[in-house]
Amino acid sequence: MYKNSKTNIFGIIITIVLLIILVFLSNIKIEKFSYIGNAVNSLVMPIQNGLTYLKNKISGNNTFFTDISNLKQENKALEEKNSQLEESLRELEMLRAENETLKEELNLAEKYSEYKIVPAYVIDRDISNYSSDIVINAGKKDGINVNMTVIADKGLVGHVISVTDSTAKIQTIVDPASSVSCSLTNSKDGIIAKGTLEGKSEIKATYIPTECELVENDSIETSGLGGIYPKGIYVGTIKKVVNKNNITDRYALIETAVDFSKLDTVLVIIQ
Amino acid sequence: MKKVGLVIGLIITFIIIYILQSNFFSWFTLAGIKPNLFIILVLFIGLFAGRMYGITFGVIFGLLLDIFISKKIGISSIMYGIIGLLGGVLDKNFSKDSKITIIGMVIVTTFIYEFGNYLINSIIFSYTWETLSFLIKVIIEIFYNAVLTIILYPIIQRVGFSIQDLFKENKILTRYF
Repeated sequence: MYKNSKTNIFGIIITIVLLIILVFLSNIKIEKFSYIGNAVNSLVMPIQNGLTYLKNKISGNNTFFTDISNLKQENKALEEKNSQLEESLRELEMLRAENETLKEELNLAEKYSEYKIVPAYVIDRDISNYSSDIVINAGKKDGINVNMTVIADKGLVGHVISVTDSTAKIQTIVDPASSVSCSLTNSKDGIIAKGTLEGKSEIKATYIPTECELVENDSIETSGLGGIYPKGIYVGTIKKVVNKNNITDRYALIETAVDFSKLDTVLVIIQ
Repeated sequence: MKKVGLVIGLIITFIIIYILQSNFFSWFTLAGIKPNLFIILVLFIGLFAGRMYGITFGVIFGLLLDIFISKKIGISSIMYGIIGLLGGVLDKNFSKDSKITIIGMVIVTTFIYEFGNYLINSIIFSYTWETLSFLIKVIIEIFYNAVLTIILYPIIQRVGFSIQDLFKENKILTRYF
């Protein structure tokens, strides 16, 4: 068979070029062409969906009428079962919540076993934006008095500022009027932690000794000075150290261990 | 008799606002800031019922709030008294028919109340003065209060003028005849 050598070479070159293009194309990631796929899909899919729906309808139609009474019965039985299950789910939810609260209280009691404590719920919060006092549902008849320390499962909450027979007002440590004498857990350097207007879980450490080296994530606890808070109650960790030109002006922001926006159970230390 | 009914109504309004303020608005906040509906309430008592009623209700409501939640008794009492007085003074100098003036009054009184409250508190409890955070909070609160005033304006207007008819009967007569 006669073959033209020129067309033969030409054919080989075209094949090689095509192969090279193919190799290139196969290396390009498919995602780069997703917009083309999307465009095509958006054109085709509605039609495809419609057709499938029609097909299913037509093919299911012959059994539709025969099954309908069975389905009704089944539906009724399932609904009953569903309501039963929902009820038991609700019961379980309640049990779980109760369990969590009890566990929390047990943990608290174990953690602060050296103190005599009274548990209480937070029943009211400050209506103003500029202070963060709370009211709890335990008062004089539970043995609570002014200046007693209040804690939660994670750490210090504040102290009692006034008390009625069945309620007590607590000044939290994040309140701008509060200042707590604290110390760094590692170095035992004393600092004063003051509440700020900002945030619900941030206090400001001031009066930091000049020789003290502050490190982020250092933990802070009460120093026991000042006569209100007992020694060694966990307050929080240092979040940020702000250095100023003058070393005496520097301060640190402490993230409190207690989240005051979600605080609902507290413990009052009676002794 | 009607006056007694109105006073009871105002006290019920106070209780409703207290419940709203301590529950509903503690999660329905604007950037974490609650409004202060008590300022609007006391201002409107001052505006529509007169200076004396404004001061009286302001002081009583303030005292109740102090007892309920504050650290010291007297601070909110004084400040709400001043707001009631301001309501009376503003009533003499401005028209209550325009929505804009009412919103302006709410803005001014909210600022005066919060500034005074913060100033007194900072002196008594030796706060570290935080101007920027305070201003941000106050501006958001003023905005929130203004929005609430716009929403509540029709109710306030209607109730307000009926209060005014009851409490200021004699004064209006002497003024016009």
